[in-house]
Order: sequence, then structure tokens, then C-alpha cells
Amino acid sequence: MNGEGEDASKVIHVKFLTKLDSPFKVPVTSVVIPSSVTRLGLSSIVNSLLTLEKPEAFDFLIDGELIRMSLEQFLLAKGISAERTLEIEYIRAVAPRKEEKPSLHDDWVSAVDGSSPRFVLTGCYDGLGRIWSSPGSCTHILEGHTGAISSIAFANSEGAEGVTVATASKDRTLRLFKVDTAESGDSTTRVGAYKILRGHKASVASVAAQKYGSKVCSGSWDCTINVWDSNESTSELSVPGKKRKGNNQAEEPQLEGEAETTLVGHTQCVSSVVWPEHDVIYSCSWDHSVRRWDVETGKDSLNLYSGKALNTVDVGGEGSALVAAGGSDPILRVWDPRKPGTSAPVFQFASHSSWISACKWHKSSWFHLLSASYDGKIMLWDLRTAWPLSIIETHKDKVLCADWWKGDSVVSGGADSNLRISSGISIS
Amino acid sequence: MTKKSQGANEDQVKEPKRKIVPLKSQKEAKEVKSSKKEEDLLLDSGTDSDYDGCSLSGSLNSDDFDSEDDFDSHRETQDDSGHEGSDEVIDSENGEEEDGSDDEGSEQREVAEESDSSEDEVAPRNTVGDVPLEWYKDEKHIGYDITGKKITKKEKQDKLDSFLATMDDSKNWRKVYDEYNDEEVELTKEESKLIRRMLKGEAPHADFDPYAPYVDWFKWDDAIHPLSSAPEPKRRFIPSKWEAKKVVKLVRAIRKGLIKFDKPEEEPNVYLLWGDDSASDQKSKHLTYIPPPKLKLPGHEESYNPSLEYIPSEEEKASYELMYEEDRPKFIPKRFTSLRSIPAYENALKESFDRCLDLYLCPRVRKKRINIDPESLKPKLPSRKDLRPYPNSCYLEYKGHTGPVTSISTECSGQWIASGSTDGSVRIWEVETGRCLKVWQFDEAVKCVAWNPLPDFPILAVAMGVDLFFLNTELGTDEEQQRIEELLRLDNLPELDEAAAAIAKWLPDEKYRGIKIRHFKNLSYIDWHPRGDYLSAVMPGGETRGVVIHQLSAHSTKRLPIKMRGLPVCTLFHPNHRGLFIIATKKYVRVYNLHKNGEPIKKLETGLREISSMAIHPGGDNLVVGSKEGKMCWFDMDLSSKPYKILKNHPKDITNVGFHRSYPLFASCSEDSTAYVFHGKVYSDLNENPLIVPLEILRGHSSKGGVLDCKFHPRQPWLFTAGGDSVIKLYCH
Repeated sequence: MNGEGEDASKVIHVKFLTKLDSPFKVPVTSVVIPSSVTRLGLSSIVNSLLTLEKPEAFDFLIDGELIRMSLEQFLLAKGISAERTLEIEYIRAVAPRKEEKPSLHDDWVSAVDGSSPRFVLTGCYDGLGRIWSSPGSCTHILEGHTGAISSIAFANSEGAEGVTVATASKDRTLRLFKVDTAESGDSTTRVGAYKILRGHKASVASVAAQKYGSKVCSGSWDCTINVWDSNESTSELSVPGKKRKGNNQAEEPQLEGEAETTLVGHTQCVSSVVWPEHDVIYSCSWDHSVRRWDVETGKDSLNLYSGKALNTVDVGGEGSALVAAGGSDPILRVWDPRKPGTSAPVFQFASHSSWISACKWHKSSWFHLLSASYDGKIMLWDLRTAWPLSIIETHKDKVLCADWWKGDSVVSGGADSNLRISSGISIS
Repeated sequence: MTKKSQGANEDQVKEPKRKIVPLKSQKEAKEVKSSKKEEDLLLDSGTDSDYDGCSLSGSLNSDDFDSEDDFDSHRETQDDSGHEGSDEVIDSENGEEEDGSDDEGSEQREVAEESDSSEDEVAPRNTVGDVPLEWYKDEKHIGYDITGKKITKKEKQDKLDSFLATMDDSKNWRKVYDEYNDEEVELTKEESKLIRRMLKGEAPHADFDPYAPYVDWFKWDDAIHPLSSAPEPKRRFIPSKWEAKKVVKLVRAIRKGLIKFDKPEEEPNVYLLWGDDSASDQKSKHLTYIPPPKLKLPGHEESYNPSLEYIPSEEEKASYELMYEEDRPKFIPKRFTSLRSIPAYENALKESFDRCLDLYLCPRVRKKRINIDPESLKPKLPSRKDLRPYPNSCYLEYKGHTGPVTSISTECSGQWIASGSTDGSVRIWEVETGRCLKVWQFDEAVKCVAWNPLPDFPILAVAMGVDLFFLNTELGTDEEQQRIEELLRLDNLPELDEAAAAIAKWLPDEKYRGIKIRHFKNLSYIDWHPRGDYLSAVMPGGETRGVVIHQLSAHSTKRLPIKMRGLPVCTLFHPNHRGLFIIATKKYVRVYNLHKNGEPIKKLETGLREISSMAIHPGGDNLVVGSKEGKMCWFDMDLSSKPYKILKNHPKDITNVGFHRSYPLFASCSEDSTAYVFHGKVYSDLNENPLIVPLEILRGHSSKGGVLDCKFHPRQPWLFTAGGDSVIKLYCH
């Protein structure tokens, strides 16, 4: 190592620190390395120090910033002196280490939800929702929609004996399903909806559920956001499903619900809604705005203007306050609404080459988010660097939806009719 | 005091200045006692001329011409005495060093020097005073210092040594021996300069300005009393005797012919050899005189002994031989040692003959050349950046057709688009994802698709061959579906009049549960009325019956009450004025009012060879017409029947043009596989002309089929283009 350092024009004294546990811990001693090494070089140095049987990829932070160029350039750009001993923190690289078996659907996978660690929910263009307990094993099929499912969400995933699932569809309805998770058989069970929510005049584009409550909200192409009650008991009337013409599947009586509240304000299709807090809904629309709604009053308390039609929005990050949104251009934008006086995005990530179809914050990390795009790529982002941490290119066509699962996996569905799970992503 | 006397007083005051020199010289002359006559004469004339000036100033009384000698001399002495003091002052000012004033000056200088140098000098000063120094010649001391002690003489250096020392010392010339203090003083630079100045006769101090502007201390505005109360001398009022004598002399000389006034004009013996031959006289003769072209002036190479670089080498000379005679250089430089050795120019005669031929055989024409910066001719257009948003990059493609996509249509909410292709299929696509929702397959190539403009009435009209189909897209809500299904059921067809029945027949379409209208000729274009009930259909082969209007709610067809002229190409319903109907034939666009029985309202002369498409601004007053020669015309229908602007962009046929519903955008697409996006802003102020700015060329379709249709997204600034390569592309902002 010293010999190498002599060859290079400059050498730097570095000390590797980490918060990782014993197999990945290097002795805290100063090491001399050439200043021209990049992340790959640093990673190989640490690997050689660790003497692991299987090489491990690491990412390196200096003063809380990820290194994405050569060490020399980084120091120069940040104005850090190369004289003193540099403390480099390393973390395991945020990249999928394993690609699970793809789960084939009959049609395009348009929606996915990974908020419950037990299951993955997928919505499909064939009008069926599916529950997957593990890659390749579909336990339940949620049927009833006459149009493609556009969005799917857990309404209540905490129940011991069952979970409640809400689906939004292009047939202008939402359906609520109760799934009994206790019964476990090899064959998939088909489940019908216990409640149909009618009220939207056009395709429903997105659904989101209250975290600890019984309410569900949905955004639609009729420019409105409806808030519904998902409870079984409070439904006011039970009508046999005969209203729809040419639809003779009313074997079991179904409950029909009406919207509790309608949030009006968007002027175009509400493409995505999220419900991160008890009475706060965030929505984005093709009218180029992201709005924050107060459910109690039905008024919007925040209006971020982006200039592009938006397809997806998510709230998370530091203090669960950062708003990330993507849409009809390849740029993923992150706003900080707490910042007074400005509505300009604080972060812009522009590595995609087509529309962004989904973006999700990591549930436990303040820095990590993912974005999926029509260019077939899913990118993992860290707010501390402008380059993607890793690019998942498993899909062969447009990626229509993506989500985190279990904190260390990415589930995604796309126009190649596959649900793909990339696991083994270590996020400290 | 009268004005005249005032003037005289002023003269008096000014006088001393002028008089100084002669007076002084007079004095000097007396002192020197040089009694030469010439000098006297000079002096006389000097005074005389002076008097002349005076007399001119006040020569009003010419009577007392010769009686004032005594008085004059008397006055003179008076003047002298009166102005003695002022003389001196001015003298010192002028820096003319007379004896007395010079002494004074030098004394002053010494004092100044002492006061300057007293501080730095430490050596004991001699206090013997102003006594002859030879008194101390033989003593050992030179005098006494201030305390009374003797100041001893310094030891004298050997003459040789001192001489050598002086020779060695470069500053020796500055050194002065001060006998009084027995020391050597080295003059400083300033002092030496001072001396030098004094030697030159200048003022010793450099900052002293001898020519300072004169400050007249003796005159001020409010002066009441004259400086001198002496009465005005008489000579001021009488003409000068001497002047009269001089005049008489001159007059006599002139009469005798000794003085001549008109000298013979001299011919200038030099003239501009290479100057313009065309003098002003030639110019004035002809109204439009054109000077002959000038010969090229000889340069260095035509010198008899040019520098070496002008002389061609042997190789170059050989290469001249190979050239054509016209290309060969006319003159080959040669060197001669002297002018004498230059031979006669062999071509002299020929060249001058040629020149003469040139001059009189070649007509001269004045060529007008205009130097205009081409940049300045460009109109001032706003920057593209300020006109955002507009579609510029393609992110989504809609693939599925197997033949060229001939027509597309957007649903009014912007969620779906419909497309028709030559492969006979009509498809509905989801804009957001690019998914094909629905496919209808027909036997014929689809010519045109049009989505009903009403949001709650999702019906698609499709034209192919002679048939027009109304298709139920099944995208509306249940109630809407019910209404549509009822409407599309052909239960009770109303009786059509024979003429209309000959044109179109309404038939139920079994395959897709819609309506089929069979026409007598092939359809080329359909267009919905903004209310969504009427639909116009164009049959170019139908001649006078080429345009019909179908009413969907009544299941009926109407002929237009219009006498058609020319082959119809496309039609438009006016977006605001319900009754107005616009028909484009191959060369003209005509506007009719259907409410008033087809009364013609306007005829727009496009000047195009063949119109291919037409679109109207949502405001209703502006129309864009695309042609098969690649030109596009913008008509301001209120302004004139001629195009407001003609845009020549496409090298090939324009296939379609379109306006955006809400953004100030319009686009054209062409068979050259490009689509152009323009900014087209129409101002509500009628005085302001529409602003048209080309924004973007959208490329991307493969070059084989061109772009066959373009439509804007109804709500976003996006453009759909349908290509001959069977792909539909969406360009976003």
C-alpha cells in the first residue's frame, strides 16, 4: 500500500470509521492511500482490510456527503484540506444484492403496495388485485372490478385475523376487501369486495388509507378527492349489486358507500394521493400542483407549483415533511414546505430519461427514496448525493409502480406484467 | 462724465503698458549717449506709431492738426513722471532684469538661503562682518565665531592633490569655495538650477510665472473717479499730422504708378498627378455623369527595382507558362540596376489602346449596392425561453398499429386518444401509460377519426371509404352509457328527402353496435360541431354535393344550402359563432352562415396551390391553413382576406395543422417527418397583430412515412403526432 502511495502524485492519510457491526468493522488505524481513488477503490481497500470471504460493496461518506468522484476531486470541490487525517465513514452500499423470482401477472401491473411486511399487494390491468406473501406465491386474488386497477393500498394491515385492502379502478369505483390471512392453503383464494365506493364520475387514479383510522381517500380524473369511510358497520344501505348493466355477478349482497367529503380544488386529474398523518392528505395533479389538504376543514393549506403534470407524490424524509413528486418529465423533485418564502424544489434528481411513474420515501431513513420511470429503470436516491445510489434495470418495459418492502427490498410492477422484487438493500 | 471722456480715461490707464518699452529705451539711449540718427528715427517712429494709436482712438477733432507740438512734449514729461512707479512694478513682473531690481532680487535670495540652511549647518560661522578678507590673509584664523573664539584656517591642500581630487570628483563642478567661512560648499541641484535660470535671465524661482494673467488692480466696476484727473490731451481729438503726410505720400505713389494692387495670378506649378480627371465642369455638363473607372495605381512590384519577395522564381515563371493566357499575371516584376537600363514597355501602346476602347465602348452603369446587416432585417421576436411551456421532447410512444396512423383525436378530458390507421384498426389509448384500451378492426383503411367534443358523450366518429361509423367507446358512466346506447339504436329512422337519401344512408352496424352511414362517395374528412350533435362530412368526389351535415340526435342528413365551388378539402364549424361554417376548397377558404340559409360571408384568398388542412384559433378570428407545397398561412379574418403571415417551413406537404385549446400554441406536421410548434398569441386588443414565433422542430418519426396528423392535448401543452411509421408519439414540455 505504501509503495502504491509513493507512485501516485498525492497521498492522503485516512481513517475508516463505521457504525456497522463486527464483520464489517475495520481497525481504527490511519491508512495512507493515493488521492486518485474512487468509491470502487475505497471499497476494495476496505474489503482487503476486512478479509471477508465474499466481497461487499461499500459507500463512503465524508462529512455526511457521499463520494461520487475521485477523492482528490471531492476534497477539492468541498475545500477540505488533504493534509490532515481524513475520517471516512463507510456504509454498506445501498444496492440490491438479490433478485427474487419474478411473479408473472396476466396483464400490466399498475399498482403495488409494500407497506405491510407480511404481504405485497399488486393491482393489475386485468381488474384483479393480488396478495403475495412471498415472491411467486399468490395467496389471494381480489376480484370484482370491471376496469383496470389503478391503485391499491392497505386500509388496515394491523389486524391479526385479517387485513383490509382498498383498490381504485378505472371503472370509476373503489372496492374494499377483507382478507382472512389466517387460512393458509396452497391454492389461491378468490375474495370479493365487501363494499363498493361509488361517487367518482371518472376513472379513479389513486387511493390512500388513513394510518390509524377507518377512512380512505381517493383521487380521480374528475378532478376531485373523495374521502370515504371503510367501516362495515356504518354503511347506510346494503343494495344488491344490480345497478350496473350487463354485470350479473351480484351473488352476494354488497355494501355501497358514498363519499363523506369531497375535496375540490384541483383543476385536472388528481393522479396521486397520500395520507401520511391523521388528517392531512397530500395530492398531486396534472394541473402541475401538489396540494396539502386538511381533512377536517376540506381546505388546502399548501399549494406547490411544479410546472409539469405530476403523476406521483410521496411525503417522507426528515421529519416526514419533505414532499417528493415526479411526473411528465424525467426530473424527480423534492420540496421542503417548511422552508418559508420559496416554493422552489430543494432537490432535483434528473437521471431518468422518461416520465416518472412512482416515487416512494424509505419508511425509516431520512435520506433514501426510490423512483420508477417509464424508461424501465428504478433508481435509489440518497439526498446526500445528486447521483443515483443504484439503478435497478430488471424490467423490460415501463415501470408503472414501485414501493419499498420490509425496509430492505424494492417491489415493482410494470408493463412487462411482472412483479419484481429486488432484496438485500441495506439501509442503515 | 460723458462717454467719450470715459473712453479716453480707459485709454490712459492702458497706456503705461504700451509705453514702457519705448520710454525705457529712450532712457537707455540717453544713458548710453549713443547719438546715432537711425536710432533716433526709430525712436521717433516708435513714439509716433504709439501716438497714432492714441489719435485713432480719439480722432474726432481734425481741426487742430498741426498746433500741438508743445503740448505734446509737455504731456509726455507728465506721463513719464506719473508712471515711473508703475513702470518698475511691471518691469519686475516682466522679469526684465535692470540693475537695481536685480540686486534686490539677489539679496532677497541670500536671505532666503540663510534662513533655509541655518538649521542644518553646524560649522562655526564667521562673525567678522563685512570687512575685507585680506586683513586675515596672513593670520592663522579667518575670524571669530559667535562666542568670540578664533576660527582657525583649514590646512591648505597641496595644489596637485586638490586638482586630482577635483578631477576624481564628478560633482566637482558644483563645488564652490567660500572664502568667508573657509569651506567648500556643494551646491544642491535646486541651487544649481536656480543659478542656471538666473544665467538665462529667467526668474530664479521655477514656480514664478512671469506671464501671469494681468490683474487690473486699477479698474473695477464701481469706480466713480478716474485714476488720473489729467484732462484729455488734444492730440486725441485731432487727426495725426504724420499720418496725413504718409497718406499723401502713398496717394502720390499710387498716382505715379509706383504701387500696383492687382498682381498677376501665378499658375500653380504643381498639380495632383493621380487626381480625379473628372473635374466639376464635366460633372455639371451631364445630369448623370459616371466617372470612368480608375486604373489600379502602381505598387511596389512595378518598381524598377522591387524587393526580392516580389520577384517570381523560375518555377513560378514556368508555372505561369502553363496557365491560360487570361489567368496569367499581366505583369511580371523584374529587377534593374538603374532606371537607365529599363527597356521600353512592350505593351504600352496596346494597353493604352485597350484602355481607350474600355473608356468609350463599355457603357457605364451605376450599380446600387445596399449594405444592410442581415440580422437587422430579422423581426424582433421574444426568446423561446420566455414562451414556455411548449412541447419539445418525446417521452411516450403509443405502439400497436401495423400501418401508417392516418388520424388521431383526443378526448376532451385528455385521458384518452383515439387513432385510426390504414391497417383498418381504430384504437383508443390511455395517454398516461401508453396502453391500448380498445381496438376496432375494420376492413378498410381508416381515413379520419373524431372524438365527440362533449365530455359526457364519449362517442367516436370514424370515416373510412364511403362509410362513417359512430362507435360507442364505453368509457362514460352508466347513465351516459344508457343515453349513448339509446342514441345509437336506429329504431325509427325519419324519412329523408330524396336528395339527401341519395347522398347518405343510415344503417345499423351489427358488429360494434353502432351506426353506419353509407355515402355515395369516398369520405376524406369529418368534423364535429362544438355542441357535439352535428357532424360535417367531406367527400371530395361529390362535387356540388361534396359536403353534408349529419345530425346524430335526429339521425338525419342535410345537404348544405350552398352552391359549392371547387373541390372541398376540409370544413370547420366556427367555435364561437354557432351558425358559421368554414369550407376550404383547393385554393380558397369560404365562410358561410348556415343560420341565414348559407349566405356567404367571407372569402379568404390563400394564394396556395392546394390546401391540405385548416385549423381555427379557439378565439374564432384567426385561421391557419396548411398547403401541400409546405406553406402555412395565418389569416386574421377581421384584418383582411389575404394572409397575415405565410410561413414556409416544410420542404414537403403539410398534412395537418392544429391549435391548442388554451395555450397560445399551434403546430403543423408534414410529410418530411417533422412537426413544427409555433407560439401564436392573439391579443384581445384589436390593434395588436398576432404574435407568431417558431418554437421547436419535433423530429423523431422515421423518415419513410412522414407525420400524418398532429393534435394537441386538450389541457396540457403536449402534442401528439401520428406517424407513417405506425407510431404515435407524445411530445411533452
